[in-house]
Amino acid sequence: MDAFFVSVEELYDPSLKGKPVVVGGRPNERGVVSAASYAARKFGVHSALPLRTAYKLCPQAIFVDGHPERYREYSHKVYEVLHAFSPLVEMASVDEAYLDMTGTERLYGPPLRAAHLLHDRMKAATQLNCSIGIAQSRLVAKISSDQAKPNGVLWVIPGQETAFLAPLDVRKVPGVGKVTERNLHAIGIRKVGDLAHLDEAFLEQRFGKWGMALAGKSRGLDAGGWFDTEIGEDEGPKSISHEHTFMEDTTDLALIESTLSRLCEMVGRRLREHKLSARTIQLKLRYSDFSTITRAHSVPRATQIDTELFEEIRELFRANWKAGAAVRLLGVHASGWSEGDEQLSLIGEERHERWKQTMAAADRMRDRFGESAISLAASMRGNFRERTHENPAGLPGKKGSKDSSV
Amino acid sequence: MEFTVSKAELVRELSLSQGVVEKKTTIPILSNVLLEAAGDRVTLTATDLELGIRCSCPARVKKEGAGTVPARKLLDYVRLLPEGDVNMKFLENHWASITAGRSRTRIAGMSRESFPELPQMPERIAEIPVKTLASMIARTSFAISMEESRFTLNGALLLTRPEGLTMVSTDGHRLAFVQASIADSGQVEQQFQALVPKKAMAELVKLSDEAGPDGKVIFAGDDNHLFFQVGHRLLMTRKLTGNFPDYQRVLPKDHQYSAKLQKDEIRSAIERVAQFADERSRAIRVQFAAGEVKVFSSSVEMGESEESVNTEYEGPTLEIGFNAQYLLDFLRAIPQDHVSFELKDQKSAGEMRPAGDNVTDQYRYVVMPMRI
Repeated sequence: MDAFFVSVEELYDPSLKGKPVVVGGRPNERGVVSAASYAARKFGVHSALPLRTAYKLCPQAIFVDGHPERYREYSHKVYEVLHAFSPLVEMASVDEAYLDMTGTERLYGPPLRAAHLLHDRMKAATQLNCSIGIAQSRLVAKISSDQAKPNGVLWVIPGQETAFLAPLDVRKVPGVGKVTERNLHAIGIRKVGDLAHLDEAFLEQRFGKWGMALAGKSRGLDAGGWFDTEIGEDEGPKSISHEHTFMEDTTDLALIESTLSRLCEMVGRRLREHKLSARTIQLKLRYSDFSTITRAHSVPRATQIDTELFEEIRELFRANWKAGAAVRLLGVHASGWSEGDEQLSLIGEERHERWKQTMAAADRMRDRFGESAISLAASMRGNFRERTHENPAGLPGKKGSKDSSV
Repeated sequence: MEFTVSKAELVRELSLSQGVVEKKTTIPILSNVLLEAAGDRVTLTATDLELGIRCSCPARVKKEGAGTVPARKLLDYVRLLPEGDVNMKFLENHWASITAGRSRTRIAGMSRESFPELPQMPERIAEIPVKTLASMIARTSFAISMEESRFTLNGALLLTRPEGLTMVSTDGHRLAFVQASIADSGQVEQQFQALVPKKAMAELVKLSDEAGPDGKVIFAGDDNHLFFQVGHRLLMTRKLTGNFPDYQRVLPKDHQYSAKLQKDEIRSAIERVAQFADERSRAIRVQFAAGEVKVFSSSVEMGESEESVNTEYEGPTLEIGFNAQYLLDFLRAIPQDHVSFELKDQKSAGEMRPAGDNVTDQYRYVVMPMRI
C-alpha cells in the first residue's frame, strides 16, 4: 500500500491530501515517526525517525496521532480484497502482502492484466492506492513494487531479474540495513550488480550464512530466513511482545506496574487470538541512560491469562528494578509455546478456570466494541495510546514473520 | 588453641558440614568452618545463614580456643592424610598449622570474631525416632516445588500433634501427606507446626543415616528457627515464612472408583511407556477399565508405547492424562507391594496410597491430571 497510514488518515481528513503529513505523534513528543506522506518524504522525513528530528527537517508538516484501530480496519479490508483475488496470501506486514498467482492465468489473464485488475479492485474497495510488483520470486516482487511506487505496476519479466537488480543500491535488498550496507561499502560494493559479481565463497567467508543468502538475493532468489515458508502457509508467530516508551521517564511504581499490566493484557489478547499459551515470560526494562536489561522466567504451566502473565512480570520487575531509577521503556515478551498437554493445578484451578472464562468474555467485548472497551482495573493508570508499526492484533494470517510484535 | 583428633572422625564430621557451607558466597567467612576446642571435644560449626550445623568429636585438647578455616580446603586436605592422628594449632595471625605424621601444612584462616553467632536451642517440642522422620522425609521431599518463586512451597509442613506427626509437601500439581502412627511418632510434648526448608530436610537425612536405626531426634523451634538434634550433632534452620496451602481442602474426601495394583508391575509398565512420552510434559495416558489398567504414550518425534497390567477395578472405563514422573515418584518411594489408585474423573485429582497388610501409617499422594 502506498503511504498506508497517511492515506488512511486522508480518508478521514481529506484536507491532508497532498500536504506534508507525519503520523506518529506531536512534534515535541518522544517517539518516532510511524509514517510520512510523499510530500513530507521530500524533506527527508521517513518512518522510525524521532518525531523531534522530523520537526526539524520539516517544521511545516502536519503532525497527526496514529490510529492503530483505523489501520487495522483498513488492513483487514486490504486482506479481504487480496484473499478474494488469490487463496494464497501472505501478509508480510500491516500494509504489504505477497500473492501466489500460480495457476490463475485462465481466470485473470497474463500477469500485467491481472495486476491492473487487482489494482482497480483495491482502489474500488478501499479508496487506497497501492503499488504492485510482479516477479518470479518474492524478493524481486518486493523490490519491483517498491520501484513501482507510487500507484504503479511493474513486471520484471522472467530472466531479466539480474539485469533489473544490478543498477539498484544494495540498500534496496530486503534485509540489508545500515550495518550491512556499511560493511558492503567498505569492500567497494555499492550496487546489487557488484554483489552479484562476487564469488559466493567470498561472501560466505566474510558474512557467514548471511553472505550465502546475500549472494542468492543479488540474483533475485528468495534466499534467507524470511522466505523459508511458502505463501499461504501459516507458521504462526515465534513470540509475541509489546513495548511502551513513556512520554517522560518515570520512577512512579504505581504507573510502572499499571503499564506492565496493560502490556500483559495486550500480550494476553494476542496469545488467545493465536490460541497459544506461553511458557516463557520476559521483561524488558530500559532506564533513562538507555541501559537495558531483559529478564525471563519459565513458568511451570504455560499461560495466556493476562493476570497470570502480570504476576510473573511484576515478580520479575520487582526483583530486577534498581529501585528509584527512572524507567524509559517497558516491554513484555511471551514465547515457548506449549504443545497442548496441560498440567492441571491442585490449588487455584477454579480461579484459573474463572479467569479463562472472564478473558474469553472480555475478548468478545473487544471484538465488538474495540480494544479499549474493557480492561483490568490494574491497567487503568497505565493506559497509553497504542502505536503501531507492524502487524497488530485482529489481522488474519500474520505469516512469514519470525517475530510478531507491535 | 591446639588439639589432636583422629583423622577418620574429623573427616566424618567435616563431611557433614559440607552441605551447609556456602559454596559461592559474597561473605567469605561463610565458606569457613568454626573449630572450637574445649574440654575433651572439638566442635565444628558451619552456616550459610539459612542453615547451620554443629558437630563434634573427641579430641585431646592441649589449649582451648577457637578459629576458622575454609571448610572445603580443610576437608580436601585432611581426607588425603594417612589414617591416624591429626594435630591442629591456631597461630597469632589466624592461620592454622596442621601436622600429621610427616605432613606439615599451614592453612589461611580468619578470626572467630567474624563468624556469625548461631541461635540457642530452645525447649524441646518432641523426641522423634530418626527412622520415622527419615521415612517421612523420603516420602514427601520429592513433591516439594522446585520453583524458587513459590517460596512457601519450597519446603514441607511439619506438624506435631497428639495424634502423631504429620508431614505435607506440594508443588501445586501434587501433594504428599504422611501421618505417622502414634507409636512411631515418639514423644510429642507440644503442638507445633512449621515449614521446613527443602535443604534442611536433605541435611537431616544425612544426619539420620549417620545416627543408626535406633537414633532419636530432639526437635525444637522458636519464632524464626527450627532445631534438630541428632546425638551430638545439631542442625538448625530458618523457618520458611508464608502460608502453606490448606492441604485439608486438597485431600479428597471420597473417591468414586478404586483400582488395586501390583506396585512393581505398574511401576515398570510406566517406566517403559514413559520413554515415549513427550520429554517436557512427560504426559502419559492411563486407562482404567474392568480388570485392566492400560498405559499409553506417544510422541510425534519418537514413537508410541502401550502396556497393560491386571487390576481389581469395577468402575466405568476412564482415560486420564498424568505426568509419568509424578506417578513414578510415588511408586519408587514406598516399600509396600501393592498400591491403590483412587479416582473420580478426568479433571479431578487422583489419589494413590500404599495397600496391603504392612501399611502402618497413613500415606496419601494426590496428583492432578493433565489435560491431553
